[in-house]
Amino acid sequence: MRNTILALALGIAGAGADNVPEEQDSLDARWNTLLNTVVITGTRTPKLLKNSPILTRVLSSSDIKSADATNISDLLQSELPGIEFTYSMNQQVNLNMQGFGGNSVLFLVDGERVAGETLDNIDYNRLNLSNVERIEIVKGGASALYGSNAVGGVINIISKEQSQPWTLNLNGRYGAHNEQRYGAVAGFSKGIFSSATTLQYNHINSYNMKNEGDYTRFYGGYNWNVKERFTVTPFSQLKLTGRLGYYFRQRNAQESTRDRYRGFSGGLRGLYTFSHANDLEVSYSFDQYDKSDYMVLTDKDVRKYSNVQNSVRAIYNHTFAGKHILTVGGDVMRDYLLSYQFENNGHKSQVTADGMAQFDMNFFDNFNIIAGGRYDYFSESSMKHFSSRLSLMYKLNKWNFRGSYSGGFRAPTLKEMYMNFDMAGIFMIYGNPNLKPESSNNFQLSAEYTHRLLNFNIGTFCNLVDNRITTAWDQTLGGQFYNNISRVNIAGVDANVAWKHACGFGSRLSYIYTHEHVRKGEPYTTSTRPHTATLRLNYGRSWNNYRFNIALHGRALSAVTVDEFTSLTDYSETEKVRYPAYTMWRLNVTQGIWRGIDLTLAVDNLFNYVPKYYYSNSPTTTGTTVSVGLSVDVDKFFKK
Amino acid sequence: MAIKVNRICFSVMTGAAAMLLSACNGLFSSVYDTPDADTGSEFGFVSAATDNNLGKIYIDATDYERWTYINFNDMSIDTLDVNDPEPKKWDIALHRYDAKTNGGSVMEEGALEYVADVWTTNVIVTDMSTMMDGYLSYTESFYNPKLSKWLDVDKSTMPPIYTLSGKRYFVNLGDGREVALRLINFMNESGVKGFLTIEYQFM
Repeated sequence: MRNTILALALGIAGAGADNVPEEQDSLDARWNTLLNTVVITGTRTPKLLKNSPILTRVLSSSDIKSADATNISDLLQSELPGIEFTYSMNQQVNLNMQGFGGNSVLFLVDGERVAGETLDNIDYNRLNLSNVERIEIVKGGASALYGSNAVGGVINIISKEQSQPWTLNLNGRYGAHNEQRYGAVAGFSKGIFSSATTLQYNHINSYNMKNEGDYTRFYGGYNWNVKERFTVTPFSQLKLTGRLGYYFRQRNAQESTRDRYRGFSGGLRGLYTFSHANDLEVSYSFDQYDKSDYMVLTDKDVRKYSNVQNSVRAIYNHTFAGKHILTVGGDVMRDYLLSYQFENNGHKSQVTADGMAQFDMNFFDNFNIIAGGRYDYFSESSMKHFSSRLSLMYKLNKWNFRGSYSGGFRAPTLKEMYMNFDMAGIFMIYGNPNLKPESSNNFQLSAEYTHRLLNFNIGTFCNLVDNRITTAWDQTLGGQFYNNISRVNIAGVDANVAWKHACGFGSRLSYIYTHEHVRKGEPYTTSTRPHTATLRLNYGRSWNNYRFNIALHGRALSAVTVDEFTSLTDYSETEKVRYPAYTMWRLNVTQGIWRGIDLTLAVDNLFNYVPKYYYSNSPTTTGTTVSVGLSVDVDKFFKK
Repeated sequence: MAIKVNRICFSVMTGAAAMLLSACNGLFSSVYDTPDADTGSEFGFVSAATDNNLGKIYIDATDYERWTYINFNDMSIDTLDVNDPEPKKWDIALHRYDAKTNGGSVMEEGALEYVADVWTTNVIVTDMSTMMDGYLSYTESFYNPKLSKWLDVDKSTMPPIYTLSGKRYFVNLGDGREVALRLINFMNESGVKGFLTIEYQFM
């Protein structure tokens, strides 16, 4: 059973929706494909989506194409409720996913961590969506599998595997504010070797907002993203996958200085299948993220930050009696950080190590139990942490009932332990080597109903988060100091309904209610919007040499009243500030002409929403804008 | 075929091992420039103005509690506490990006009139750290609002947006001499703000 799923994961799912024959690319086929999608993030072993006890939301390559998103933040906001990307200081992007910030949601690319952060968030522009097979989103703690940072969820971006002899896609998009996106994906497969090379360039001008606000100008810039991924299968039992990547982004916030960001990544993974019941995966991963200031006046590019992560992992799977899977494994990672926020622009490093085990038990056809645990060690703080998980799924006719407990934690980072930073002469920010790890206990219950072309699920979640790490004013030090705060409770309801009709009509409505409770007097207050929803309606038809698809994406965010501190140095007094609700709509019309030529017209902010005041959580919009895009699959010209 | 496969595997493994060993503290450091450290010896009149060449001054104006006094006659520079008495002879003085003249006046390039210094009580900031308590600490001083426009500091956003005017400022020194000044940089090679590079030329 497991090997059948493994084959699906490596083969059918790897081929990707864009590579299936045209006649299969109907809504029905896509629906069945989605239900039979193999997911891996929830258990670290391939599992059919409908059979996974870990509720997983999958965004397929079709979803990505339909959303016409450039990077992960655009896509997640468009497709999932409960996710909001806002601005923090210096117009740096800040994630809030159902009450969890960017450093409490673990982003993975093919299962590997992403180095670097700015104000607790990775560089989301690094995660572009070229050649992505699917994105798996698992909400709730997942540290029993993934260790630190998997407090509020895991978002795993899975790359496509090349299966065709050769493919070549060229694409471009032009929009408002001189927004330009150009991309190319070239792949080939011959014998034991296959390769996919991806290149993408994005550019957008700086532009002024229409009204006053916390920010009045959007900082433009450009970025390059190059990725190479290859596989070698020297014999049927062994598969080697290698990858290399380069990323460059420039942001034009100041006339005299350009903010530059670079990423270098590489890795090698070997999967050896000893028998039907045993396989071993060994991998090495390298990721480096640098920040530098390019000084226009002196033509100097001076590095001020570098985070380098080297990690080695081994995971062994053994299947008992053809249906119970034991997974054991471990990682060793060296984390190096050079930062302008350390004393004398210094650097720090630490080694982390872990061991994990998980048992996937299938004693009955309709009842699945997964239990697991992971033990993590961090050298710099000599900190040790154990995380556990128990997940259950019971199937009854067309219903799937899921329940789980999962632990999450986030170890203090080198930055949080050792920062010593002068904030423009106004105050100092000090690290704290004695920080405790953030930890969460996450409980989820859900019911899923699937009948023909209808899928409905509703769930409830509760997160008890202890020792959340934040900065607070310390009167003795006369500066900000990293510290743990008391328990934060986050609970809510998550509901989704998706329906497709054979005539070509499809829809999905998702809604999340989130309540975040923070004890009064703590140096942190919630700004999580309680109600958020997304809606997608699409209609598509295809003929021999012409096809079209119309998709309407809507996103609604309720107002939120935030208790904001009246003093920067005392947390006893607050005042209420209300941030307005808004909705954002996008209409995409894609026409497919002849073989592999797709022309897309997109109208963003369809109802011309313009904030009266641009708060840091207001959308960066100046009103309705239009973009046009062209995608050409050159290889399809030559196929019969 | 088996030999070829083995070679491929060997090459891939060797490449990965080499990467692992060399990459602990990162790669590609040569992509970046290494700034020269400020030792203090480079501050002052870097070059003197002649009939054909612009002169250049480089000063450390990072300290909020100090004025830097520039004397063009003897090309001397004094840095004194804001509470200290002014030196006997000086032409212009700088505090961060604020400027004042010694009884002179300033005309911006493209303008038609000279502007004299004004007495201020809420412009020259001496302590930023009190901002956390809701106020800034100032010192009383003369200040030339026109010359101080050589760098616009928009504090409506954090961090502030710095924009050089790029213009020349004609300073009538009050004794018949006139010098043209232009601020060409406000950072050192590491990007630390408060280090001023000024071009000057006598008219």
